[in-house]
Amino acid sequence: MAIKSVKDVKRKEYYLFSPFLRIFHWLMVVMILVLFGTGLLITKPMNVAATEPVFTSLSMDLVRDIHFLAAFILCAGLIMRVYGFIINKGDRLFPRFWEGHFYSETVEVALHYMLLKSHHAPFLRNPLARGSYAMLYVLLAIEILTGFAMYLAANPASTFGTLFGWVNVLVGSEMMSHYIHHYVAWFIILFAIGHFYMVVRAEFMEGESEVSSMFSGKKVLAHTPKDANELD
Amino acid sequence: MEKRESLWEAYLRRGFSRRSFLKGCVALTSLMGFSTDMFSKVVEAAETKPLPVVIWIHGHECTGCDESFIRSGAPLASDVVLSSIALEYDHLLSAACGAPFEAHLDETIAKYNGQYILCVEGAVATKDSGVYCMSGGHTFTHLLEKAAKGAAAIIAYGSCAAYGGIQAAKPNPTGSAGIERFVGGKPVVKVPGCPPIPEVMTGVVMHVALFGTLPPLDGDGRPKQFYGNRIHDTCYRRPFFDAGMFAEQFDDAGAKAGWCLYKLGCRGPETYNSCGNLRWWQGMSYPIQSGAPCIGCSNSNFWDEDPFTDRLPKYGKLGDVDKIGAALGVLTAAGVAGHGIASIIQRNSRENLIDEEHHE
Ligand code: SF4
Ligand code: SF4
Repeated sequence: MAIKSVKDVKRKEYYLFSPFLRIFHWLMVVMILVLFGTGLLITKPMNVAATEPVFTSLSMDLVRDIHFLAAFILCAGLIMRVYGFIINKGDRLFPRFWEGHFYSETVEVALHYMLLKSHHAPFLRNPLARGSYAMLYVLLAIEILTGFAMYLAANPASTFGTLFGWVNVLVGSEMMSHYIHHYVAWFIILFAIGHFYMVVRAEFMEGESEVSSMFSGKKVLAHTPKDANELD
Repeated sequence: MEKRESLWEAYLRRGFSRRSFLKGCVALTSLMGFSTDMFSKVVEAAETKPLPVVIWIHGHECTGCDESFIRSGAPLASDVVLSSIALEYDHLLSAACGAPFEAHLDETIAKYNGQYILCVEGAVATKDSGVYCMSGGHTFTHLLEKAAKGAAAIIAYGSCAAYGGIQAAKPNPTGSAGIERFVGGKPVVKVPGCPPIPEVMTGVVMHVALFGTLPPLDGDGRPKQFYGNRIHDTCYRRPFFDAGMFAEQFDDAGAKAGWCLYKLGCRGPETYNSCGNLRWWQGMSYPIQSGAPCIGCSNSNFWDEDPFTDRLPKYGKLGDVDKIGAALGVLTAAGVAGHGIASIIQRNSRENLIDEEHHE
């Protein structure tokens, strides 16, 4: 039937993601994996069991340095994300909860994901996904705040130390910052698993170019998404 | 008001030599964390400053801080108490008792209003109007508020006075808290530790006594010279940490060889204190040196961060967050796989429906 033959379908191109967002996204993927791996190793280090400290190569020191380096790169990458946010409308993914239709649309998408509804209206960015990204940024913010609070506590009286020191006071103690940092890291990983599945599913089941758009920045769609007007 | 004698005058009265006085001043200088060029200032202060009046009160606590204090080696606690300060009132170290003793407190507060140093040990029991800690027929909150009003400086000794301490541990039935809320907004010098290091205790009170000013404090109110470094950054086992050489058990080869105690829950990386550089009992040893991981006794809230021998809290059979997180990860992966299959089935049935509609 005609509907199955790709060539006959008219598709429209929507330019969505600026290169800044895309670079940041992939940077974040790599850095989160590095940070998570090294983070686990920092909490429960491998025992090198060398005879002399000077003879070890894969040391705790190295693992920590990699962790810190990755953290700094990720934070620097955030600047790109903010820049993209400023110059490109398609990068602005904050859920529009101040608009009335946001709620009904979220419920509709949620019902579909719960397999209670056979389909949902097409979106460039569906409201539920947007909500989950806002969540991710909250988690990232917690990691950044607690992370710097711990990192800079080596010299708590320094300028940067006082800039982040209040975090340790707020959560009760520096150890609590460690706990929170570690727990939230696991939530980020759980998010990543869910996110990975959802975009692959959207790509192959809903005819959305979710995966490819994170490389090309564009979505080439046969249908007209409901939120297309947000781009102009 | 009668004239109070200075440290030098006290030495003279006792017939000590000028030489031993100067020696004492050298010890004081280094103890307060000063470089030697401050020495002449210290001597000057010791010659002219009248000995400060100290009122030392005890709240909700075990008096372990006093046990530590009386073991101070340089200066000797007896020197501090007998010749370096005028200790007018102390719950623990007093021979007097009863009504005359309490009356003496009121006299001292009135007589030296605005001049005395108030040392507080122990937490404040705040629940039920403070009835869980009584002293002299009044609540400790009452005593603290009364004594804090006329104090020139307030020193909180021990983690209890600073943050609430052991009695503030969950569920904190007495509502124990640090003293800060009950001193009428005056700055408090916090000298946390359970107990604090004896020389740190004497050092802080001597600083206030000799210079009449508070020592340089960090954002939390702790004297920088004693609480400016983490144990971890001054620990002699740090090279083993950096190299990744850890004791895994209290009785394994690594523990015997003196490797880092991080995996046995050492809180050194989160703890600010002088154990690593001053050490205890005149520099003899400190917990890590004797093979016990630091429990972070000078940190706010350390009492609720158990188990002390692990880096992460455990939840019974479930294990710690790493185990739970890994299990949740597997569950999530299985969940999305199941959801994927269900989605495909749903789509197929939907398309069949559409197909059927087309055929009709
Ligand atoms: S801080 Fe610790 S040692 Fe000092 S009185 Fe409180 S519980 Fe005892
Ligand atoms: S024993 Fe504790 S304080 Fe010392 S290096 Fe190891 S973790 Fe740090």
